[in-house]
Formats: sequence, C-alpha cells, structure tokens
Amino acid sequence: MAWITKPSATMKVPKRAEPYLGAELKDRLTREILPRYEHKQGALIPVLHAVQHVWGWLPWQALEEVASFLELTPAQVWDTASFYEEFWLQPKGAHVIAVCRSVACEICDHKQITDACRAKLGIEPGETTDDGKFTLVELECLGLCEGAPACLVDERMHLSATPESITRAIDDLRDKPGHGHAAPH
Amino acid sequence: MAAWSPKTTTPVLTARIPCWPHGDPKNRRIVSYDEYVRTGGYVALRKAVETMTPEQVTEEVKKSVLRGRGGAGFPTGVKWTFLPKPDANGDGGQRYLAINADESEPATFKDRLLCDFDPHLVLEGIALCCYACRIQTAYFYIRGEYHHQAAVMERAIQEAYQNGVFGKQGLLRGTRTKNRDQAWAVDCYVHRGAGAYICGEETALLESIEGKRGWPRNKPPFPAIKGLFGRPTIINNVETLAHLPFIIAQGAEAFMKQGTESSIQGAPPSYGTKLMGVSGHVNRPGVFECDLGIPLRTLIESKDYCGGMRRGKKFKGAIAGGISMGVLGPDQMDAEMDFDIGRKYNVLGLGTACPTVFDEDTDMVAVARNIARFFKHESCGQCTPCREGSGWLYQLMVKIEEGRARSKDLDLALEIATSMGTMPGTTICGLADGNNWAIRTILNKYPDEFQARVRRTFVPVGISVGAGAR
Repeated sequence: MAWITKPSATMKVPKRAEPYLGAELKDRLTREILPRYEHKQGALIPVLHAVQHVWGWLPWQALEEVASFLELTPAQVWDTASFYEEFWLQPKGAHVIAVCRSVACEICDHKQITDACRAKLGIEPGETTDDGKFTLVELECLGLCEGAPACLVDERMHLSATPESITRAIDDLRDKPGHGHAAPH
Repeated sequence: MAAWSPKTTTPVLTARIPCWPHGDPKNRRIVSYDEYVRTGGYVALRKAVETMTPEQVTEEVKKSVLRGRGGAGFPTGVKWTFLPKPDANGDGGQRYLAINADESEPATFKDRLLCDFDPHLVLEGIALCCYACRIQTAYFYIRGEYHHQAAVMERAIQEAYQNGVFGKQGLLRGTRTKNRDQAWAVDCYVHRGAGAYICGEETALLESIEGKRGWPRNKPPFPAIKGLFGRPTIINNVETLAHLPFIIAQGAEAFMKQGTESSIQGAPPSYGTKLMGVSGHVNRPGVFECDLGIPLRTLIESKDYCGGMRRGKKFKGAIAGGISMGVLGPDQMDAEMDFDIGRKYNVLGLGTACPTVFDEDTDMVAVARNIARFFKHESCGQCTPCREGSGWLYQLMVKIEEGRARSKDLDLALEIATSMGTMPGTTICGLADGNNWAIRTILNKYPDEFQARVRRTFVPVGISVGAGAR
C-alpha cells in the first residue's frame, strides 16, 4: 500500500470528448448500486470496479467523472483508488497473468512459474508486452494455497500450475479479446 | 499418547461439499437453492423465525460458546449482546451486518470453499444473524481476487431474494414471526474489495465499505455501538455464520459435543468443528473439516486427511494458522489445533486454523523474508511503528538471506520484532503484532539457520588493565 502522490500543480490530464462514465453506465449504477449504500461515497468502490471493468483501467479523466457523479472531490476518489492494488491507474494489457508469490506458493516453487511467464512473454513482473496483450504481475496471497503454486489468469483460478500449463494458458489467451474491454487504449 | 479419534463423524459445514475423508473433492459442485432446501436447508431459519424470539436465538448461540472463526476466537453470542438494546417496539433502528470474506491472510483459504460451493449455508447463517440482532442490511465483503466466488454468492443472493429469505418480504416471505406481526425486511449485498489485506481487519473493512481507504479505526467506539455509517454494526466471519444453522436446528448441546474442552484450567472451551486448510509440503493439501483439538500430527499423517509429508520428507515446522499467528517448530508437531494453541505452544493463536507445512528442505530464512515482505507490502501506512518497522524487518531479512548481515543484525531484527507496534496501545490494529509474531517465532525456533547466514560481529575482548587504560 505504497503512498502514491501526484504532481497536482504541473500535472496535465489528457482529456477526450467522449466520457468514460457514459449515460447508460451511470443509469445502471444509479439504479442498482447507489441505493445499496447510505451515502454516495459508499458506492465508490463498486463504481470504480464497474468503470475499470469497461475500460480495463482508471484514467484520470474517469476518476474526475466518478467524483462528480458521486458528488465527491477528485481528491477523495484518488485517495481511495490509489490505496487499493486492484485498481489500475495505468493501462494494463488485455490479459493479466497474476502469479502468487506468498509463502505457500514460494515453498512450492512459484519461481519456476514466474520464470516460465517471463520467458514466454519476454517481460518482467509489472510490465506489459509491447503488443499490449499481456501484463505479468506477482501478487501476494491469492487464497489458492491448496493448489500452490497458483496463479490468477484474468479472473480464472489456475491451480497447481506448472511451467507447461501456464505457457499453454498464455497461448490459449493470445487471440482472445481482453476481458471487459470495450475499446483498445 | 493415545491415538486421536474424531468425535464428529458426519460433516457439518461440509455436509454438501465433498471433502476428504467423507467424499472426493472432484465431485464438488455449486449447491443451488433447491438442492439446499431438499437437503435440509433453511430449516433452522424457519425454526428460528417461527418458534424463537431474536433474544432466544442470541441466547442459544451464546450458550453454544461458538467462538469466532476469523482469527481472534471471540465468542459470537457475546459479541451480539454488545449491540444497543432495541426500543419498546422491538425496533433497534438501522443496524448493519458486515460479513468478513476478505480472506487475504497467506495460507488461508477455508472460506473460499464455502462461498464456492455452498453459498446458501452462508446465507442462512447471515439471515439467522440478521434475525437475532434485528439487522436490516448485510454487506458480504469478499476480497477482490475471488471473482468467481463473488459471482456465485451474487447468484445465490438472487435466489434467496426470489425465495423470500431476503427482500421486503424477507426471512422466508414475511412469515409471521414469533416476535412481531409485520414482515422483516432484510437486504443482503455483495461488496467486492479491491486487493488490500488490511481490509480483513474489522474496522478497516467498514472504512472500505464506506468507500474510503482501508485504514483501521481507533477503538472505542466499538463497531457494535458505532460502526458502518456510524450505526451499530456486527462483523462476523463467513465460517462463524455457517455454523449457525446447525446450532439453531440441533441446539447448542449438539454443538458442544463436537470439538474439545480446554485443557487449561479456567480457559474457554473450543467447541465445534473447524475448517482446516492445509497447504505446503503434504501429499494431499486441501480443506478438511475436523473437530477442534485434532493434533497437527494426525492432520498431516492420517490417511483420512493429508496422507503424510510429500516425498516422505521430515516435518520441519508449520505456520499455525495464517502467517500472522507465527510458526510451530520441529518439536511441536503434536500441537492440538484448538483455541489454546497460543498459550501452549508459543504462537499467537489458532488464527484461521490453516497450517502451511514445511518439510526438512525448507529454507526458513527465505520463509521469514517472504513473510516480512508480505507485511511490508500490506502495512496500510497509518501508524509509524508498523509502516517503518515492517520495512526495516524486510531489509534485514533480505540482508541475512543474501549473506550481507552480521550477527548484531539478528539482535536488531529480534528487537524490532519484539517492540514494533506491539498491541495494545502502540498501533491501531494488530497487523504489526502479526508481523512480530511471525518473524519472532521463526527467529527463536530456528536460530541456527540464521546464525549460519551471518558473519560474526567480533567483540574485542582483552585483558582489563584498569579504568584509565583507554
């Protein structure tokens, strides 16, 4: 949970005409999510999830739109969005390979899984391939310890991984569209 | 020592989820509402609503001495009684239930099993708790990485709404309850977390539902008085709630026949069964439902459970139950897995009862480094001792592992791990304490491995020639 700061005075925010939080999405969120919480800030995390689900990540413009939608300040939205690891504040690849690096997976040799991904994709953990298809990350415990070493391939659990099985999973995904991406970025 | 034998021979929590030794995990599938009802589901809720007042339900749970399954082992019924008393109309005002399914502790994966396959068991527990505590809204806080499980719960909640468990005509379609004539309106929502271990801490979880960063709150006020959105709030673990249908349907006495009495005079008992998720170097890792009090040795070596150490290696140690509880040493394989484990075997406690087992080839320095990195990564940054101390510990562990450390660094590591953010009082939550216990128990139980990795710090000792010699 590192502290992420932003250069407020000098930061240039790229803006585009089309909003990230479209009327249809706003309508759905107003109907389904907002009534669940006592105040609008309560809906912030579900709303961020919903926006990220559509765009794959949370651009600054989207955060500002969320802020005005929920009647919060951009700082409040940034505060929350930057705290949680699952919110992507930079673009990520169409597919995310998340290798668990916590204790149960480490003693069951998670390193060979990361190495297999590294070799297959030619990137280090935290990086995205040049074609924008894959992002490789190492995460703390995914709660899949009985299947150590384990990974999360997009949103699917991948238990008892071997270098071969993870390479195969990557091959299978290569030509599939990214999960929940309406447009490339 | 006499061989341990299970008291509970039919599974309770995993009645519908095949687990060894009662069934093959390959046959697991999601239990739908219809199947759940067909196999005796929602009987307890109906019984409670039709024949018991909310106070009687609370009393029954209190009597059973059901202790929280999330880590601290606090008696659930007692926790419920901390809520403010309802007014003369039997109305408690707006109250909330937050269900803690933010299972992020490394080595822990027991709640996932329930959410994955038997979501209605959890929902029945939620409904029972809502009835007993007069709660109108429940938030099921599930960790962000459990995408599939969140979807399963979401679907099960829809089924429960359709069948009158939740909704405006909730608790089984507005059945006239023992307590009052009008229908009980109960809402239940899934709230997905977004990848922060600290949100498993109860007040951080509340902050997270309120849409803020997951920073634990100072207590008091306790959540039962002033919790979510400033209202009285109960926070219970998934497994704790899953025990409720059995307790209400069969009675507290039946529950008290499972598990074990405490072997320490005057300590509270460990009744009931417990899901134990074993991972690491064993032949058959997975979740097993056992009576509390099962020796770790039985859990590892019995053919019914893990079936022995992988490749016949020797036992070197095990995480007691989630890494923040510390590590059991090579001579502690006979530890009984119950709530007394902390006092008897020099670990913090039973935690989530999910041991990770290490075989003889495990590098304990690497394990310590891994754990230190985890806590450094997950410290929320609110309190200085934890934010800074966890980073120092990680740096020291890396230094030791790489062979750059000196023996005085071991003393420094031990000093940090003994004083950093010790509870109560120096930090807001227990994260730093978990970090301390994990590192301290490893340092203390495997000193040789650390000694061998460091260069000695020579202390020049000579002949004293008097005070003025230097």
